Amino acid sequence: MIQSRNIYDTHVCRVLRVYPLTDTEKLFLFRFEDPSIGMNWRFRPGTFVELSQPGVGEVPISICSSSMRIGFFELCIRNAGRVTQRIHALKPGDTVGIRGPYGNGFPMEKFEGRDLLLVAAGLGMAPLRSVFLYALDNRWQFGNITIINAAKTGAELLFMHELDAMRDIAEAENITILQTTTRDERWGGLKGRAATHLDKVNVDSNNTAVALCGPPHMYKSMFEELMRRGFDPRRIFVTVERRMKCGVGKCGHCNIGTAANWMYVCKDGPVFDYYDMISTPGLI
Amino acid sequence: MRYLKLPHEKIREFLLELKRYGTLIAPVSISEKAFDFKEVDVVDTIRFDYNRTVLPPRKYFFPPNETLFKFDKKDCRLIDAYEDPGTFVIFGMHPCDIIGLRLLDSRFIDDQPDTYYKRRREKGIIIGIDCLPDEYCFCNIRDADFADRGFDLFLHELDEGYLIRVGSVMGHKIVDACDHLFEAIKAEDISVMTRKEREKQAMFQHNENWDNLRYLLELQDSHPLWKRESEKCISCGNCTLTCPTCRCYDVQDIPELDGNGGKRVRFWDSCQYREHGLVAGGHNFRETKLDRFKNRYQCKNAYCETMTISYCVGCGRCTQFCPTGINYRKNLMEIRGDE
Repeated sequence: MIQSRNIYDTHVCRVLRVYPLTDTEKLFLFRFEDPSIGMNWRFRPGTFVELSQPGVGEVPISICSSSMRIGFFELCIRNAGRVTQRIHALKPGDTVGIRGPYGNGFPMEKFEGRDLLLVAAGLGMAPLRSVFLYALDNRWQFGNITIINAAKTGAELLFMHELDAMRDIAEAENITILQTTTRDERWGGLKGRAATHLDKVNVDSNNTAVALCGPPHMYKSMFEELMRRGFDPRRIFVTVERRMKCGVGKCGHCNIGTAANWMYVCKDGPVFDYYDMISTPGLI
Repeated sequence: MRYLKLPHEKIREFLLELKRYGTLIAPVSISEKAFDFKEVDVVDTIRFDYNRTVLPPRKYFFPPNETLFKFDKKDCRLIDAYEDPGTFVIFGMHPCDIIGLRLLDSRFIDDQPDTYYKRRREKGIIIGIDCLPDEYCFCNIRDADFADRGFDLFLHELDEGYLIRVGSVMGHKIVDACDHLFEAIKAEDISVMTRKEREKQAMFQHNENWDNLRYLLELQDSHPLWKRESEKCISCGNCTLTCPTCRCYDVQDIPELDGNGGKRVRFWDSCQYREHGLVAGGHNFRETKLDRFKNRYQCKNAYCETMTISYCVGCGRCTQFCPTGINYRKNLMEIRGDE
């Protein structure tokens, strides 16, 4: 009997580069060991992988690189638990197991022909970096782009230097990059929550796709501010975090909703639209 | 559908015949009042009259714990550690458990089939048997009191034997191989079955349409019942362990003592445990017992699109085996405004 591939089996990937981003986050570049898998492996911005270290376990991590680069991918990993602590000790040349990609991802095809507003707070920058880099790699398919990156302090702003180094290209390409901190006395740039900077964006609220990722308390204020400024709720998308052990809608840990609308974040999400967000108890 | 009659005096021979196909599993008595599905050596120990088993038959397809992979830490590669149980026959599954298994199928054998569940499912032969409701049963309300499919053979008790429905190719194969045991159905058998079906229906305590329940559950989120009932709960997880459609699992890596290898094991989890919604960093998406208590009621009453029924089949286990006497059906009726 021909048995199809075991859905819980992993592909071996090699760590090529480890780049410290903040005190708690590192950026890892991976390459598939098996070229035939690497060349055929595709993902959408906003999807995630289950990253495995045999002997320690698996964790769900959003892919943060552009989906245009074949055979390689990047993960921004916070040292937050048992598995990620072990991952943080990895060096170039070490191997991990990967399965996925999982989840629906952002509907990039619906974003085409529109301006893009990407709003990230804290670790939320990781999945949105994938959207941002994808948009840069397909620049002609999108209108103006604004990315807002918020964190408590400058030291915690993910990809701060990378975004800072893009200032020239941003100007040439009609991209506005806003980096803001909420609790940093010594920060010389923008201050305040992301929602307070919507007056500085270069996008047209009548024709903009919005992607949000941040802590749950950010969504309510962002939604109110976006509505007030006339953004279309049908084009507001959010990606959320849960405990996702299996990634394939089976283990049950990431369940949300009620009997009237029962969903699994790993499979029905992690990207949800505005109406899902406001009508699904437990989602915000 | 093909129908046959198995006379009472041929039942023993029929059970022995089933043993030829693989391990025979059937309901047996495990204490004064409790029953469970067990591997059966002597067919005379099988209890045709059992009300419900403590554990549902899902344990044969989705074991309480199972090793998914073995690994050698040197190269991160996983080696499939599936243990083939060989063909097994589960005799005596009630309609609610057959439908419960189909509800599990809808989640486990979807566009990304669970490799382990699927392989075990292909090894199981299912022989159903009809039953009569007791005070805990409300499978009729859940549309789970009659099995249309999901079995190889299904037995309905007549006055002098059983009417057998043949539900699969395997079912045909089994009856063909021992066709000397069976008789043709007579008009009299059909009227006996019709009468018994009516009698069964009349035994259910309630008979309403609960389609609106999932919306009422959502709307009644601040009903005083939730606090009152969840305070009785001791988070033991019995309700989820004994549920035929509960399927939450956790996965753990267990390293070997020499540190070089180990195994990846999955085991049943319960949404009633505090760790269920806990993520790295310490945030818990279902922090309180009240959150977790509500979660189970919502999940069980959610709509399964494949089966077009709810995930609860009304088997009554979660109420019968609750150590603090939480009555799930009564609580649902209170949400519906029935009491």
